Amino acid sequence: MTEEKIFEKVVDILKPYSKDAGALAKVSLETNILSGLKVNSARLVDVVLAFEDAFGIEVADDDADKVETVGDAVRLIQGKLA
Amino acid sequence: MADAAPGPGLAAEAMVAPRGGSPGLGEGAWSRRALAVQLAVGRLAAPAWVPLAVLLMRFGFRWRIRDAASSRARYTGLLADRKPLLVVANHLTMVDSALIAWGLGSALGHVWRYRGLPWNVPEQSRVESSWLWRLLAYLMKCVPVPRSGERLVVAQVLERLGHLMRSGEVVLMFPEGGRSRSGQIDAESLAHGVGRLIKEVRDCRVLCVYLRGDAQSTWSNLPAAGDTFTIATRLVEPRSSLRGLRASRDLAAQVVGHLADMERAYWAGRP
Repeated sequence: MTEEKIFEKVVDILKPYSKDAGALAKVSLETNILSGLKVNSARLVDVVLAFEDAFGIEVADDDADKVETVGDAVRLIQGKLA
Repeated sequence: MADAAPGPGLAAEAMVAPRGGSPGLGEGAWSRRALAVQLAVGRLAAPAWVPLAVLLMRFGFRWRIRDAASSRARYTGLLADRKPLLVVANHLTMVDSALIAWGLGSALGHVWRYRGLPWNVPEQSRVESSWLWRLLAYLMKCVPVPRSGERLVVAQVLERLGHLMRSGEVVLMFPEGGRSRSGQIDAESLAHGVGRLIKEVRDCRVLCVYLRGDAQSTWSNLPAAGDTFTIATRLVEPRSSLRGLRASRDLAAQVVGHLADMERAYWAGRP
């Protein structure tokens, strides 16, 4: 799966968790998931679990800890799919 | 007297490499020595601040805990076993940590057996709001956590808490992540960190505590003056066959489920 496709899917997954629709409209790889998209930190685990389901991967706690930006998520997923 | 000694290793472990923590978060990320110093300073100050806090609750606010003797006896028995112990509780007011500590031990008991006084995890911005709060949090066995912090920072706090538990200290957490806005246990509101801690600390026992004042119908900053509290305890050892984040979520859900069950029992037994 290309980085672009993964990015699109990641943004789709993030949509229901984001409290800032404006930020979603101009989301990029550099966008911070918590501060940029205003995703509740307590829901970040649910977001990562949604990544697991959508991409058929398993993410360890330590890997999930490193996900700060949309790009981090994309790279993590890319690495798992490789 | 053995219990009055330092946890088996906080001071000693301050000098050695981390053990059992998450890869990548080691001694460089936080200092075991700092925790050992905090514990030593708090222990030295405990004969002053612990009785003062209890006097304030008992005579300042005129709070009472119904049948505290039995919950204290049970807790003392649990402390005799050195397996890691995590206390989880429902959360209605800002002083729940103090009330729960009081319900699990007398002032004298906590001074004498200082490791039985649970560590708390207050919200970092509140602790940092004044020097007085900073001082109190330091003395009162607190490890502040940013509520909306990056996972890496929260993971470091959890690593500290895990280290404390492995060292014989007790940690108190609120698995709902905050005060129950409905006044009842919210099974949908899960602090996954609780589950992660249970997962990562081998042989972790969990003491579920349900505490509620007769006059408490919902959440507030402080309970009403003169309120009388009921305290119930249930010891569980949650296990999960799941892995990774799902295991953390499953374990957190299990303890919240126990608290919800205790809440039902509380209301069923109330006249």
